[in-house]
Amino acid sequence: MLKVFKYTLIDLLRNRFVLSYAVLLLAIGQGLFLLEEDPMKAILSLVQVVMALVPLIALVFTVVYIYDTQEFTQLLAVQPMTRRSILLGQLLAMCVAMLVAQAFGLGLPLLVHAPGSASLLLSLSGSALSIIFVVLGALIATRLREKARGVGMALVVWLLFVLVHDALLLALLFTLSDYPIEPWIVPLAGLNPIDLARIIVMLEIDLAAMMGYSGAVYKNFFGSNMGMLVAALIMLLWALVPGWGAMRAFQRKDL
Amino acid sequence: MRLPALLASLITAAWCNHAAARTWRVAPGSGSLQQTIERAAERDTILIEGVIAEGTISIEKPLTLIGKPGAVIDGGEKGHVVLVKADDVTIRGLTVRGTLVSNLYDYAGIHVNEVHRPAIEGNTLDRCFFAIYLSGVQGARVIGNTVIGDDALEERMANGIHLWKCKDATIEGNRIEKHRDGIYFEFVTDSRIERNEARKCVRYGLHFMFSHRDAYTNNVFEENGAGVAVMFSHHITMTGNRFATNRGGSAYGLLLKEINDGEITRNEFTDNTTGIMVDGCNRIHVEHNLFRMNGWALRLYANATSCTFIGNTFSGNTFDMSTNGSLMLNRMEGNYWDRYTGYDLDRDGHGDVPHRPLGFFTMLVERMPHALVFSRSLFVSLLDRAEQVVPSLAPDALKDDRPLMRPPKPQA
Repeated sequence: MLKVFKYTLIDLLRNRFVLSYAVLLLAIGQGLFLLEEDPMKAILSLVQVVMALVPLIALVFTVVYIYDTQEFTQLLAVQPMTRRSILLGQLLAMCVAMLVAQAFGLGLPLLVHAPGSASLLLSLSGSALSIIFVVLGALIATRLREKARGVGMALVVWLLFVLVHDALLLALLFTLSDYPIEPWIVPLAGLNPIDLARIIVMLEIDLAAMMGYSGAVYKNFFGSNMGMLVAALIMLLWALVPGWGAMRAFQRKDL
Repeated sequence: MRLPALLASLITAAWCNHAAARTWRVAPGSGSLQQTIERAAERDTILIEGVIAEGTISIEKPLTLIGKPGAVIDGGEKGHVVLVKADDVTIRGLTVRGTLVSNLYDYAGIHVNEVHRPAIEGNTLDRCFFAIYLSGVQGARVIGNTVIGDDALEERMANGIHLWKCKDATIEGNRIEKHRDGIYFEFVTDSRIERNEARKCVRYGLHFMFSHRDAYTNNVFEENGAGVAVMFSHHITMTGNRFATNRGGSAYGLLLKEINDGEITRNEFTDNTTGIMVDGCNRIHVEHNLFRMNGWALRLYANATSCTFIGNTFSGNTFDMSTNGSLMLNRMEGNYWDRYTGYDLDRDGHGDVPHRPLGFFTMLVERMPHALVFSRSLFVSLLDRAEQVVPSLAPDALKDDRPLMRPPKPQA
């Protein structure tokens, strides 16, 4: 597994896509901090980037990479090693590559221009999102045989998480506004890793608004250790369950 | 014959004056302060050393009390500590402590009642109930005092600097912490509040009721329970103040209720749950203020009329504005909104399309406060964008026709 990890990682770090992803993030991050006089405002814009762009790139890149290295994977599969260690090694390498690119592209400008708890939370939740969406990408790529369908599915999944889920929740909030559904909104939003990450970062950045009448409820929950633990647990489940699914599919797959 | 007599009387008068300006010294073990006050003539000076603990000290003639470093008047919790009942009394450099805490009477560290021109300067009021209490006073000067309350009292805390029915007061350079209201004005007219700092007060940093023609300038109000409240007053000028970190469900940087003809210029509102709340005000002029990182920068209720908002900067707020109705009888022009996405083809520094500060999301949260969880989600930003293009929810008149393309330069 470690050998697979090592060679995949070396291949990934030479990959032009990963390099340009890192440079793109750096350009956005650095550019925003240079454009905005107020570092807090640059962080606000970065939140939107992290919550939309990072999952999209992680998802699409993983899917494309797994299809593109199919021959290498086949070659590995005839070696005396388990499929489990092949996929684990590859997944681990992809996660590390994404995290390194993110640390370079986002972490660096955040550390230089706005070191603080908001930046830390943003980096942490961005990293969690990277890992989750790499695993989701692996699930899609191992389940679907054709590359075109895989990429299409990746885009659909991304849209579901980033737009459709919020739209559905808002529609729910509107249609059921006569009923006491408020306690359900946060748990339902928290099911979506992107929303969960966003809420955690927002509690730090929009703290002033969150201290208002309704926000205080969320602050009490997510601001507590218990809330953070639950959030981390949900994030972990989002990485483990699709990971387990991908592993099952890969082990039964006719390469 | 007449000249020598006049000369003689002049000399006598001068000698008498000289005698009147006598200086007394009081230290523990060398006479009591209250007795010295009674023995002293009008306009004498009393120098105080060490800790004086004689219960309430009552001053009923014009005197100057000066504390040497370390001088303390301890009231021993018997009522007021220093009670001023004569004109032209000066109290300087003393530490005052030991007020009685009562639910029936307003006991104060320095209580000044129905007099003219008291000067309270450079004193430290240490955990008093009310600290400095002026009632029916004209021309008071309260300058450079440090007023720290006792937060162990909790709901029985009282005000730091409390003025009731006063005129021509000057409140300057004081630091007030941990009281109920930092500075409290009721029926106080023609007064100035300058360069004070009120922090961590459990209710308001500054509280105005029925107080007209007052100005407060260059003060700092931070981390107060509910910020600053100005209520039922007219012709108030508020300039160069800083309102920061006043957070909570009913906390405001500045709460304006039933205010007429106010001027709010060059203030800074940072990190408050609500920057300014405008409720039932007329002809308020809000110009060149900075609203930064607030929850709601400006809550403008529909019952406010003829207010003007010009040249303000809105930056990084969760919501720039909100309102509670569809009526809008106020004018907004030439403000800088960081959310503005328009263009400036004629390059006159003003955007060519109007900015509508009330987004879809603001209206949504106004109706359903729990929708706040969707703050800054991609879907909600898209809806906000749509609302800018095709306004449907926000009052039509609520817009800035000439939004600035760049934040205005900070004014000196």
